[in-house]
Parts: sequence; structure tokens; C-alpha cells
Amino acid sequence: MNNQNKALAHVSKYAVTYLFIALSALFIVVSGLDINYVASQLLLRLNRNAFIVLALIIPIIAGMGINFAITIGAMAAQIALLLTINWGVTGAPGILLAAAITLPLAAFFGLLIGKLLNKMKGQETIGSLILGYFANGAYQLLFLFIFGTIIPLNDNVTIVGASGVQNTLNLTGKVGLYTAIDGIAHIPFLTALYIIAGALACAAVVQYLLKKISVKRLAVTLALSAVLAGVFSIPPIAAIFNGTHGRVIKLPLVTWMLILLLCLFNSTIMRTRLGQKFRAVGQSQTVANASGINVDRTRVIAIMISTVLAGWGQIVFMQSDGIGTFQTYAAHEQVGLYAGAAILVGGASIDRATNLQAMVGTFLFHSLFITAQSAASALFGDSAVGEYFRAFLSYGVIAVALIMYAWRSAQQRKAGQLNLAEQSR
Amino acid sequence: MSERLEGKGAAKRGNRFYLSIVLFVLAGILLIGAVAGYILRGSASTRANLDKMRDSAVLHAATEGLVENIAQTARAEKLKELRADKNFRKRGLDEVNSICDEAMSAARIEAEKLYSNPAVEDEAALESAIEGFEAVLATSGKLESAERAVYSDIYLELVEGISDWTAVAAEGADDDAVISALAETSPALKDEANAHLRPGFVKLARDMAAAQQARQDAELQEQLTTMMTGGIADWSEYAGLQGDALWEKLTAELPELAENERFKDALLEKAAEYVAAAESGEPLPEAQASEEGVEPVSETQVDYAYFAPSAELAKEQQDNEEAFQALDAQLVTIIPDLGSLTGKLQDTLRADIEKVIWPGSLDFTARYEAYMAQKADRVLSGGAANTLKLASKAEALLLGGIALLLLALVMLFWETLTARFGVPRTIITLFFIYLCLLAELYNISVRMMLGNVLERMTMYGVLVLAMMPGIQCGIGLNMGMTIGCISGLMGIVLSLQFNMTGFLAMLFACLSGALISLPLGWAYSKLLNRMKGNEMTISTYVGFSFVSLMCIGWMMLPFNNPKIIWLLSGHGLRVTHSLLGSFAHLLDNFLAFKVLGIKVPTGGLLFLGVCCGIMWLFSRSRTGIAMTAAGSNPRFAEASGINVNRMRTVGTVLSTMIAALGIVIYSQAFGYAQLYTAPRQLGFIASSAILIGGATVSKAKVSHVLIGVFLFEGVLVFGQQIANSVLSGGGLSEVMRIMISNGIILYALTQSGGGRRE
Repeated sequence: MNNQNKALAHVSKYAVTYLFIALSALFIVVSGLDINYVASQLLLRLNRNAFIVLALIIPIIAGMGINFAITIGAMAAQIALLLTINWGVTGAPGILLAAAITLPLAAFFGLLIGKLLNKMKGQETIGSLILGYFANGAYQLLFLFIFGTIIPLNDNVTIVGASGVQNTLNLTGKVGLYTAIDGIAHIPFLTALYIIAGALACAAVVQYLLKKISVKRLAVTLALSAVLAGVFSIPPIAAIFNGTHGRVIKLPLVTWMLILLLCLFNSTIMRTRLGQKFRAVGQSQTVANASGINVDRTRVIAIMISTVLAGWGQIVFMQSDGIGTFQTYAAHEQVGLYAGAAILVGGASIDRATNLQAMVGTFLFHSLFITAQSAASALFGDSAVGEYFRAFLSYGVIAVALIMYAWRSAQQRKAGQLNLAEQSR
Repeated sequence: MSERLEGKGAAKRGNRFYLSIVLFVLAGILLIGAVAGYILRGSASTRANLDKMRDSAVLHAATEGLVENIAQTARAEKLKELRADKNFRKRGLDEVNSICDEAMSAARIEAEKLYSNPAVEDEAALESAIEGFEAVLATSGKLESAERAVYSDIYLELVEGISDWTAVAAEGADDDAVISALAETSPALKDEANAHLRPGFVKLARDMAAAQQARQDAELQEQLTTMMTGGIADWSEYAGLQGDALWEKLTAELPELAENERFKDALLEKAAEYVAAAESGEPLPEAQASEEGVEPVSETQVDYAYFAPSAELAKEQQDNEEAFQALDAQLVTIIPDLGSLTGKLQDTLRADIEKVIWPGSLDFTARYEAYMAQKADRVLSGGAANTLKLASKAEALLLGGIALLLLALVMLFWETLTARFGVPRTIITLFFIYLCLLAELYNISVRMMLGNVLERMTMYGVLVLAMMPGIQCGIGLNMGMTIGCISGLMGIVLSLQFNMTGFLAMLFACLSGALISLPLGWAYSKLLNRMKGNEMTISTYVGFSFVSLMCIGWMMLPFNNPKIIWLLSGHGLRVTHSLLGSFAHLLDNFLAFKVLGIKVPTGGLLFLGVCCGIMWLFSRSRTGIAMTAAGSNPRFAEASGINVNRMRTVGTVLSTMIAALGIVIYSQAFGYAQLYTAPRQLGFIASSAILIGGATVSKAKVSHVLIGVFLFEGVLVFGQQIANSVLSGGGLSEVMRIMISNGIILYALTQSGGGRRE
């Protein structure tokens, strides 16, 4: 009985995730796309977007909902990239310079965002969304009317004969920022997988020997890594990746290391004092305040970290394989929407999120993204429907998550009131 | 703690006081400067100096053409010389250019020296010639702009009002018939004073009819081609057939083709392609999508090619010619080389001189600036030049002084003002007044823009009104009003699907839109009732999701009127639907009249007024009072026996239904109905308008709607015009809209206290 209840609760909590798994499977089959193509695109998009999605976790834990204001972090990164291009710094140094400029810029923006969101507690999600729109106006003002006139820039980035920055900036060729991180080193997907499985197993054995985990845990971990390595060794599955059909699928090593580092950062910070503060503030601001935590300050720090990470995430995105151009006025627009939808698809909610959920969410969301158009033209004979379906999915997922969260908290409130009433009786 | 806060507040008040004192002083200085400038404008010596500048400017403008001519000739000669040289090919293009440019600038400096100080023997004669020309130009210039304004009004009325030109200018109809048909749309044509414009408009009507016919033919031909290529399954049956034989077999299969003999050649050519493809066994040529792009929706541009001057203006232009000849004769006596100018150069010379003498008006500033453009200040000594400069800036100083004075007053009475009107309304009103001052400074007609504002008020008014019941019943800013908007759009496309026109179409669109929005609004309100405290976030995303869902809906719904669907794919509604010929501008033109050159869209204003009146009455009715109570204090309302959830439902449904009406009114004023993602941002626009009007997320009145829509649209229209004339590149006004609209919502969110509202 209890088990059944647990399973039900699990299913209802992850309903959206399961729905997306089913939809992705259906779409991949229906679209008729080559599986090698889908897998390579999926991994490409995963390393492009995972960083930004992971940037959403800390504000969620700190109880500030989905931080749609990460678009502002993206804008900071774009300002940094523009300056880098303007100064002609290329390759990895260029990326490092852009990241270095992004840090103070995004931290400052984060400070402002945090201060503003503190004035609208309980409405952070909508507040950060509209703040993102507002900032888009300021960004256009900066790029159209201030850069090139008040702040002089080189001719290669401005519109000749008018004020403002060009619509599209090329990152390839002489600019040399294209795949500046991705291109450093590549590793075949299967090799990476075996290394990870091996590392997992080794770590578990070491931890067991140090008596940090139980035998049961050890066995589970070992079995898991064995299955992971085993499944991908089955010839038909391995064939997708090892070049039997199409090209060998490779992962950009440095980018993935950055993503793993960020995951590590997210989980480590939660074990520090600051992380405890985030959690406490997220659970109850009143209790946190009573226990001597400066609630407002903690929230501002959470947003600042998120904004800086989002900025770096945008740099990772822009340099990534297959982008190549910098859409000056549009590159940041959908960042918040897609990242927010992705993390919610992974099973995160407005007040809970983990690294795994972010990664799974990005994976599922983008698997639909890749296949939606072809699937729609196969199903309805019109690829435009797929385009609209993607937009609907993005917004719909967020709407559903918001509704489920509001509904659950309403239920909890009601239950709390009933309890109180009973106690007083 | 509170003492410290109070101390801080007092310090802020003190700072504001000192700041306002500084502003008062600055304003005083500017105003004194302005008064001095205006006094100087009146003085005789200033006038004489200005006239002196004018004469110099005219001479400068006259010689400029000559100098340019000499410089260009020198450049050409240098180039010829270089070409003759055998080393020419070895030189790079840049080098050749720089050598030529050098030669040109050297020649220019020489020429300028030659003409810089022409000796004027008979100053009085030159002055009188210039003044004569100035007088004629002033009258003919005024007359011409007046006549062009009349022409442009009629032109716009016709082009925006007539949807079927072939009916107006039917084949074989004589000029009088065409004119009387046109006059039905534009009664001003009946006026005898406009008789000179009639032949031009007859020609316009004929041209438009021809263009329309050509467009229709092209569309029909495309349809027939699609029908033929799609309708015939097996082209190999037609193998070996050609010309008339092929045509016969085709028409036997598809009788529609026979009705349109005039496309025979084009269709046969296409058919031959398919036959050839079938014979060779190659895949059939894919039908190309040619119409998937979005039709541009832009303001109609007035084409002055059909303009004709009246007899009076023609005579003025004749005088003009004579006066110019007199001036030219004078100029030739001073600079004999001018007599050698011919053809194009002579025309440029005339245009240049006209621009100097008649810079749009004879206003002091305009004249001064036109003369300064010809470097005319060199004829004046230092002091006189500065005096003139001050006099020319008098207007700017006056406006700047007023602006600072207002700012100082607002600073001084900040607390009183914000307590009475709220921060956003105070700031936006001040901003609006500043825009009016700027418009005055840049000589942009405030009257014209007020007319535009009025038009846009009728366009957005009802949509903004839809926000009111939402706020009153306690769901806050109803961002999900897009649900209502989409219902209204559905009503419009249904009316188009059934080929309805006129008032019937509009009535049908309104009614069916409202009917569709009723169940949707009800379901939406049930959702919101379970989500108390989070309505705005949820309604935003529910609205967004619904818009995207309906994007798929517009593609898939079984509409089949060829006028509204994509022709090629044969299904799916187009993005933009012109309502010309249906109910475009119907309400706005109803009983419309002109006062002081402003077109008053009576019907639209009346409709908005009636809607506002009904809402006002409703909020005073029993239900309305109960609804407001439920919204402003749910616990108290519950205690006094009001069913809060029911009242919220009433408010939400009402808001959704008004939004459905609103989008119909919006589309009729716009002239187009836009589907797909177009309605997504409407909720934000309506929200910011009502917030600017003084509403908060928990309180709204009819006055907030009216003031808000006036201020919001006013700021946008004025801002756009001024931005366009100051910075030639557009886009600034769009940036301003984004920032104002979202900034105001952010401000309202910070004021609502967020979660504390419960």
C-alpha cells in the first residue's frame, strides 16, 4: 500500500518528465531522422545549453523560482563578447577575456536584479521575466544608440553610415572565437562513457574501503556502471556512436569538463555555510530570518551567482560548434525561456532542482527540439506546425509547472489550516 | 528603526528642496536669456544684420555650384592626364583616386578664392531682387503646402477606403463617372475648389484598377496552375500532345480552365513542362512556395505623382519664375560666370537658392539656420554674430526654461503630487509635457500628433478597459486577456470566412468573439481561483501557451475560403488579413468629422465612451460593488456573505469578453487582423497603459483607463515622431516603448508587496 502510494507520488511528481520521454521517443521514430544525426545533434545541443540550465539551480533552491533574468547575464556576456571582438582578441585568450569582463558586469547586474526581486517577494518568476524584457530595451538602447557614438567602436562591428552595432557579427575566420573552447580537444563519446563508468566504479570502491558507504550502495553503483558500459557496448547501440553509421560522435572535452565542474560547484556549494543559508531561505524566509540569516542578502548572492554563471553559459553557447555567428539583437531573447523549460522538463519544480534534473531536462527538451519539425511534417504535412509546437511546449511546460506548484502550495496551506483548526479544537 | 527611516526621509526631502532651488535658478537664467533673445529679434539692427546674412548666403549658394563644377572638371582632367600616361596601369586604384582628389581640392580652393568675395556694385538692386523672390516664394510655398495637404488627405482617404478599384474605374467609364464614384469615398472631391485635382485622381484610379487587375490575374493564374498541376494525377496520358490539342484535352478534364482562355499560353507552357517530365521519367517539378512571406503592413505613403497645381498656384509659380529670372539677372551682373551655367546646373542653382531663401518658413530661427548653412556669419563682426545667435536660440531657451521650471516645481511638490497621482502618472505626465515642448522645438505639428493619439486611443481603449474588471475582482493584471483576444480574432476570421462585409461583419465578429470567449474565460477563471496569490505569473504563461497552441490551431482549423488561407498548401490561415472591403476603419469613419485639421474618429470614440459608461455603471451595481469588495479584501467579503470565487469568475469572464471586443475594435482601426504570435504582447501593452493611468494591481477605475491610454499612446506617438526627426534611424521609439511598458509593470510589482497581499 505504502509502496503503491510512493510510486504514485513519484509518477505525479515526474509526470511531465515521463510525458516528455514518451513524446521524444515518438518524435524520434515518427520524424524518420537518422539516429546517428539525432544523437550527434543532441550531444551538441547538450554541451551548448547545459551550462546555462545549470545556472538556474541556485536561485530555485534559494526560493526565488525560475530566474528568467538570466537573459541579463546573457546580455552581459554579449557586451563582453562585443568588446572582445572589437579589440580583436582571438581564440582561447579571447574567450578568457570575455569571461573576465562578464564576471564583474554580470555580478553588478545580478546585484541590481537581486535588489529589485527583494522588493517583489513571491512574484520573482514574473518579475524576473518582465525585468528581462525591460533589460532587452536597455540593451537595444546601448547597442543601437550608445555603442558607436558615445562609446567608440571599430568599423568592423558597427553599421557603416549609421550608429549602432551590426545585426550579425561573425565569430569565425579572423575573429577566431568560433569553437575556441569546443575545439581544444575532442574525445570519442564511447571512450568518455567508459572512462566515466570506470571512474564511478573506482570511486565507489575507494569510498567503500574508507567505510563511507554501505555494501548495498557499493553493489548498486558497481552494477549501474556495469550496465552503463554494457548497454553502450551492445553492437546496434555502439554502432550509432562509433562511426559504423555516419560519423564518429565525439565530445568536446574542455566544454564537458566545464559542465562537470559547474555540477560539482552546484553540489559543493550546498554543503557550505552559504549553501545552507540558500536552503534555509528557500524553505522559509521567516524561519531563516528568525535564525539570524540576512534573508535579503542571501537572495541577492544567489541571483548574482546565477547571473554570472548564465553569462559564462552564454559564452559557452556562442562559441559552440555550429553557431558561428553572434545575432546581436536576438541571441539572448529566448535564453530564459528555453533554459527554464528545460529544467522543468527534467522534473525540477519551482522550489526544487538538482544537477541531474537539469541535465536530463536539457536532454529531453532538446531531443524534442531537434525532431519536432520533421515529426510535424511527417504527421501533419507541414513543418511550420512543428515550429509552433516547439514554442507551445516551451511555454506550456512552464505554465504546467507553475500551476502544479501553486496548486500544491494551496493544498499545503489548506492542510496547514485544517491542522491548526484541529489543534485549536 | 522608524526614527532612522524618518530621518532618512527628511534628509531626502531636504535634498529635493535644495535641488529644486538650483533648478529654479537655472530656469531663471534660461528664461532671461529667452526674453533677451526675443527683444533682440525685434530690434532693427538685428533685422538688418539678418538681411545682410541672407544676401551673403544667396551669393554663396549661387557660387557653390560654380565652384563644384570647376572642381569636378579639374578632377576629370587630371584623370584624363593620368590615363594618357603609359604608367597608368601600374598605379593602383587608390593611388589614382587620391591623386585626382588632390587635384580636385586644389582646384576647389582656387575657385573659392576666386568667387569668395564677389564685388557687389548695386547692392540695392540685388537686395530688392532677393526680397522680391522671397515674397513670391513665401506665398507660393504656403499655397503649395496647403494644396499638397488637401491632396494628401484625399489620396489617403481614397487609397485606404477603396478596396475594389476595378469597380470605381470600370472599363469604358468616362472621367465624370469615375470622379463621381471616387467622390462617394472622398466627398472633398465634389468641392469645386478641388476641381484641378480631379484629372490626377482619375488617372490614379485607372492606374490602381490596372494594377489590381494585374494582381488578380496573377493570383488567378497561380490558382489555375496549382489546380492543373495538382489536379492531374498522370501526366503521361498527355504525352505527345501539344498546343491546341493539349489544351482541348486539359479543358475537357478541368472545365474551369476553359473559362479563363486568357491564361492559355502560360498554362500550356507549364503543362508542357509536366508532360516533358512525365515522358522522360524525371520527378515532377516541385511547386514553389511563392507566397509564404508575411504581407507587409505599413502606413500608406502618399504618391505626389498625381498632384496638379490649382490655377492660382500655377500663377504663383509663374510669378515665381519671373522673380527668379530677375534675381538671376542680378546675380549674373555680379558673377558673370553664372550666365554660362546651363541645364542641370542651372536647376541645381535655383534649388539651392530657393532652399536658402525659403527654408520652409520665414521664422527667425529657420532663416538663421538656413543662412548659417551657407557660412553667412563671416559677413558679420564678432558681437553682431553672437547677438544673432542668441536671438536665434530664443525659442530653445524659452522651452528649456519652461522644462526646468516644471521639473523644479515637481521636485518641490513631489510628495503632494505622488500622493495625489501616484509616481508613474506624475513621471509620465511630466515626460509627455517634455515631449510636447520638444515637438514645439522641432516644429512638429502638435495638432497632427494629437489627431494620431486620438485615433490610437480608439484603437487600444477597449483593450485597456479589459484590464479593469480583472483588477477589480482581485486577479490583478490579467495577462491572460490574450485568450479573449484570440476569441475575438476567431470571430473576425469567421466573418471573413463567410464573406461578410460592413457593420454585419463587425457585429458578427464581436458577438461570436464574445461567445467563444465565454466558456474559455470561465474555464480560465476556475483555474485562477485555485491559484490565489500567483495569478499574474500563471496568467502570463497560460496566455503565452494559449497563443502558441492557437498558432497550431490557425494552421489546422478547417477554414477554406481562398481569401484567407494559404493558397498553395490549401490549408492554414494567413498571418495578416486585410479588412479592407470588410470592416476596416468602419467605426472610426462613422460620423467622423474634422476640426482644426484633426480627424475625430467619432464612432470609435463613441463606442469607447459607451463601453466605459457601461463599465462605470456596472461597478456601481450590486454585483459590481460585491466584485470590487471581493477583490480588495477577500476575507472581509467572505465574512459579509459574498461568494468570492463567484465574483472572481464574473470579473475574469468579463475581462476576457471585453478583450474579445477590444481586439475587433483594434483590428478595425488598424485595418488588418493579425493572427499567430501577434497578440502575445497585447496583455503587457494594456497592463502598462492602465498602470500609467494611475491604477494599481488591486485598484482600477474608468478614469485610469482613459487617462492611461491617452498618456501611453501620447508618449508613444510623440516620442516616435520626435525620435524620427531628431535621429533619422528609427528604433528609438520602439526601445522607449519596451522600457516604459515593462518598467511600469515592474514598478507596480514592487508596489504590490508581492506575497504579502494575501
